[in-house]
Amino acid sequence: MIRLLFKRLAQGVLVVFVLETITFFLVRMLPGNPFLGERKLPQHIMEQLNSLYGLDRSAIVQYFHYWKNILTDGDFGPSLVREGMQVSEIIAEAFPVSLSLGVLGMLIAILVGIPAGMLSSWSRNKWPDALLMFLAMLGICVPAFVIAPVFGKTLGTSVPGLSVAGWDDPLCAVLPALTLGLINAAYLARLTRGGMLEVLSQDFMRTARAKGAGVLRQLFLHALRSGLLPAVSYLGPAFAALITGSFVVETCFQVPGMGLHFVNATTDRDYFLIQGLVLCYGVLIVGANLIVDLSLVALNPRLRSQGTA
Amino acid sequence: MQVKQVITAIVLGCLLAACGDHRSSAERFAEDGILVLGNNSEPQSQDPHKATSVADGKIISTLLEGLVRPSPSVDGDVLPGVADFWEHNEQADVWTFHLNPDVRWSDGRKLTAGDFVYAYQRLLHPEFAGKYAEMLYPLLHAESYNKGNCDWDKVGVKAIDDHTLQLTLSGPAPHLLRLLLHFTWFPVPSHKVEELGGMLDRRSLWTRPEHWVGNGAYVLAEHRFNDFLSVKPNPHYHRSKELRNRGIRFLPIVNGYTETRMYLGGKLHISNNVPPEMLAYAREIRTADYCQDPYYCTVFYRLNTTRPPLNDARVRRALHLAIDREALVSKVVRGAGKPTTCFTPPGAGYAATVPTEPSSRQAREELARQLLAEAGFAGGKGFPVLELMTTSRDVQRVMAETIQSMWEKVLGIHVDIRSCEWTAYKSAQQNMDYDISSSSWSGDYLDPATFVELWRSGGGNNCTGWGNDEFDSCLAHARRTGDADLRRQYLQRAEECMLQAYPILPLYHSERTYLRSSRHVRGWQPRLLDNFPLDAVEVIP
Repeated sequence: MIRLLFKRLAQGVLVVFVLETITFFLVRMLPGNPFLGERKLPQHIMEQLNSLYGLDRSAIVQYFHYWKNILTDGDFGPSLVREGMQVSEIIAEAFPVSLSLGVLGMLIAILVGIPAGMLSSWSRNKWPDALLMFLAMLGICVPAFVIAPVFGKTLGTSVPGLSVAGWDDPLCAVLPALTLGLINAAYLARLTRGGMLEVLSQDFMRTARAKGAGVLRQLFLHALRSGLLPAVSYLGPAFAALITGSFVVETCFQVPGMGLHFVNATTDRDYFLIQGLVLCYGVLIVGANLIVDLSLVALNPRLRSQGTA
Repeated sequence: MQVKQVITAIVLGCLLAACGDHRSSAERFAEDGILVLGNNSEPQSQDPHKATSVADGKIISTLLEGLVRPSPSVDGDVLPGVADFWEHNEQADVWTFHLNPDVRWSDGRKLTAGDFVYAYQRLLHPEFAGKYAEMLYPLLHAESYNKGNCDWDKVGVKAIDDHTLQLTLSGPAPHLLRLLLHFTWFPVPSHKVEELGGMLDRRSLWTRPEHWVGNGAYVLAEHRFNDFLSVKPNPHYHRSKELRNRGIRFLPIVNGYTETRMYLGGKLHISNNVPPEMLAYAREIRTADYCQDPYYCTVFYRLNTTRPPLNDARVRRALHLAIDREALVSKVVRGAGKPTTCFTPPGAGYAATVPTEPSSRQAREELARQLLAEAGFAGGKGFPVLELMTTSRDVQRVMAETIQSMWEKVLGIHVDIRSCEWTAYKSAQQNMDYDISSSSWSGDYLDPATFVELWRSGGGNNCTGWGNDEFDSCLAHARRTGDADLRRQYLQRAEECMLQAYPILPLYHSERTYLRSSRHVRGWQPRLLDNFPLDAVEVIP
């Protein structure tokens, strides 16, 4: 287990490093620059700004300088568009918002998606199965930019305490979390159903039934552990994606999270902010996958023996 | 038992929520006398020397006050701001401002003419790289100093004493007072800027709420990135008794649909923009709140006159004549604009005379076909496929498709549409890597020069490759005269000269469509530059 942990950690560091390197050079190849505005800047001003932020040097020199600043001073650089703000400050301000929304969304997804998948697999080919899978397909097919305004318009205006959009009240988190949660619940329901169906058809389940195990005992004690494996694999990246924010949901509900920064920084060519966000996203994805890998090993004894071998 | 407890807690939570405070945010803030408004995008900076956008300008105008301030009653009129009174010489190129000795910064320190000198030097300093330094170029030798070609002593700004500021201009500027309303002409607290990094430190923290010092009606209270920025009354403001509200909360809502939903859901007192698709709905359900005001902005297409066949004025005129502007405005922007064939919007005491064209639509289309035939493309035969570049905004794309079909129908020519994200679009436009580019221009100050100057030969924002000696000569004459009427006539002649060459295709003067609470907001008046002084807005519960 410890060996697996170190192996995965080393792989993760490499992945993040490669990701950051590709991003660094890719964003500099995009047309335009961070100082482009509605009005064209005089050449001498543009040159001064480039020099001020070290963008007049070659990309390779900038690249080494960037890593040196991170590794020696922990400095991720300044925002080139919101001058005076540091990338680390922007992420530190937005991340807790996305994190709280992501955790809430994931809780909703798990509490709705997994029981729905289990119920669906237990009542296979009966009406509850058809109804639940129809709803799950609806959740997968209907995009967030449709679900979000519909929730805002219906629940936001009719349920006391809820609001159409904004972030000035704790209850403002309910609708965006519900949107994120239900979309992910749809995927989780289908994955759980698939995993459970495979397990329910196996010999040991038949034996359990023959020995007179009750429905709940069969589902929760015998089937759930193996049946959840596909869903658990999905949960890691999904959780990382949720806590780093969703541009569509954050735009529709005016949530000041990381998702907005991802898109705005790219369209604004805010190089250091893009790099900082990609680094953050990379670390979270790798971290979430690591937890998933360890969970899968814990859930599946066969993997455990491979992992420790 | 545990399950029962959880269920009880959930039910109790719901009951509490149902019995709680059901007032909307707009109602809650109105009871505290605080105005909540949508402000388009997250501000770039509250530093007047780093800010460039309209959203920045709205906030800065509440935090800092210039020599003059906009009149709340008449659009375009100015009232004394930091300066009590002023005078100028006969040529209107030397202006002396006498500052109110009672004006103080929000930390209680006296504001002096030296603060203005410091601010102008900071923005123009060759090492500061002020993006909007051009706004100060009317000052004598300002451009030269900004480019590092002369010393600061030569620039036409002088503090005669602590309360007298003299501005010497490179030419007469009868419109200077309107220019001074722009935030680039505001002072900055030199003592605070020096304390937190100095004049040339672009990363200075002096604009953070905890360090903020200003001389405006309000001081910065709180700023949460992408969430809100709030300002509260400045206790040292010299006209604090005239304040009509107890604070302002600016919400950076880029998406017009979200903003309109937030307004309708009781989150805002004034929204910034209702998108065309929601106009009819907003007008119907909030008739009393719906506002549609003229805006000092023109939507037009740039033509790259360096590329054939657009280097032929007959082709450009044919494209101009084949556009049905009335249909465009009514169908695409749903009436939120006025169709036009001239460039400078009306409203600043100036109206350009547009080139005479046939009055009927049929005759115009016939003339367009004839001109295209004269240029060697009868019936559109042999006409190359041009590219029409737009941003990825919905309204821009629909407009491009509408014009594409008009040209196809009337002239028999086909243009391809290239939809780009904003930065790529701007980069291509500024590098003239396009054939036809959708564009818009809004004025920085209420004067035709902010529009006409755009088209001087080789001007940075011209981006069409068009230039004309007569046009440049008219502009030069306008800059040299101190007579306001004569200056206007020169600008008018310059614009007519440009319009007759068709380097651009003006489409419509846009109008601002937004919602304003008729219940909570009093004293608001529309402004061409959308710069109504927010301290004059009354918020009632």
